Amino acid sequence: MSLMEEIIAAVDEMPPFPQVVQRAMQELADPAYEVSGLVDILKVDQAVTANILKLCNSAYFGLPRKVSSLKEAVVYLGADQLRQLLVSGAASKIYEKPNEGYAVFADELWRHALATAVMAQVLRRHLRLKLDDNMVFTAALLHDVGKVVLSAFVIDKYRAIESLVEGGECSFQEAEKEVLGFDHAEIGGKIAEKWEFPPEIIAAIAFHHEPSRASKELRLLTEVVALANNLAVMVGYGTGVDGLACRGHDLLLKKLNIVEKDLEGIVLLFQIEMEKTCDIAGLGES
Amino acid sequence: MSLVTVGIADLKVSNNPEDTLVTYSLGSCIGLAVYDPVAKIGGMLHYMLPDSSINQEKAEKNPAMFANKGIPLLFKQCYSLGADKKRMIIKVAGGSQIMDDAGTFNIGKRNYAILRKMFWKNNVMIDGEDIGGNCNRTMYMQIDDGKINLKISKKGMVEL
Ligand SMILES: [Fe+2]
Ligand SMILES: [Fe+2]
Repeated sequence: MSLMEEIIAAVDEMPPFPQVVQRAMQELADPAYEVSGLVDILKVDQAVTANILKLCNSAYFGLPRKVSSLKEAVVYLGADQLRQLLVSGAASKIYEKPNEGYAVFADELWRHALATAVMAQVLRRHLRLKLDDNMVFTAALLHDVGKVVLSAFVIDKYRAIESLVEGGECSFQEAEKEVLGFDHAEIGGKIAEKWEFPPEIIAAIAFHHEPSRASKELRLLTEVVALANNLAVMVGYGTGVDGLACRGHDLLLKKLNIVEKDLEGIVLLFQIEMEKTCDIAGLGES
Repeated sequence: MSLVTVGIADLKVSNNPEDTLVTYSLGSCIGLAVYDPVAKIGGMLHYMLPDSSINQEKAEKNPAMFANKGIPLLFKQCYSLGADKKRMIIKVAGGSQIMDDAGTFNIGKRNYAILRKMFWKNNVMIDGEDIGGNCNRTMYMQIDDGKINLKISKKGMVEL
């Protein structure tokens, strides 16, 4: 089997994106969703239920009394917070899956994913982009999911990728492509296809290092994810292995006439949001 | 020995010889470490942005986020522990960039430029620095001797 075939086989073996989460997301997509219907979907999954209650009762919300029913918690959190909790709960399990290769940095990979998701949301709001917030969050959170699969296969090739990056001419993703013939973005796209995500999300994951390759109709989300990735890496929420060896994509900034001061403002908003998110996700600063 | 973490947009000072101050993953941010070798007092700042004029309210609440607020505060806190301005040893790391020929993502450069400007105005000399490039840095400072170690992506540990 060629390396690519082996990796495709590994993608096939990946667990599905949790059914409960996907069904709940469909339900939540309807603004007139019924709380009881949602509770019926969620209660099937013990871990999800426990997570929702835990968040509701966390110090972050500081509720005067303990919430003990799922129904109460669903009402209290509301659609936006529930969505984020569900998606990030599922994604954190995928990123933190223990394995080798890149995953010596599994924690760092998850922090990077979360930072990119927060950054993408800040960009959407601040730049008033006509995109669905949930779509932005999901695509950005999962953009590097290909690294999870790829990492198990690169152990013996890793030195070669690293030394190309050390040369300084080559980004980490370009080095992967050079050494392996493909990169983590492409593999991530295949995973997203397997999970039957919408085409916008598949494109955003597959082309987050080469946004101009996304077809025109799918381009905006891809550009947002590419830019959010750039900015998250820039401020230091990187992935550990690649440092800042990541090519900048400023098309969106140019299109929207974003200047230096605006970019600083975006970094500032990001840091405020990120601190909140880390509190909720129980991620200390480390 | 105890490790004291300086978060992003944060500063810490110490006169406990057991302490090692550390700040992780400096990208475009700057890590500034100052040390008085006689009083054995040290401090570290991890700032994100050059100038607080973009958001006065946030600057009040979190001065360590900005060079123009965080740098004076770091020195002030060291002095209040008994450090002396004339003895301060100053080391700087960070200010990296992603790969971008157009210079759009150059917050790292601006973070470093404002520090140089502030130091120049106040006659402060930098005793050691490791700036720029596209690497990620973690900075350590031992309070007992002021030694600074940097962990640099793709390079490993070096003393500054
Ligand atoms: Fe990536
Ligand atoms: Fe990334």
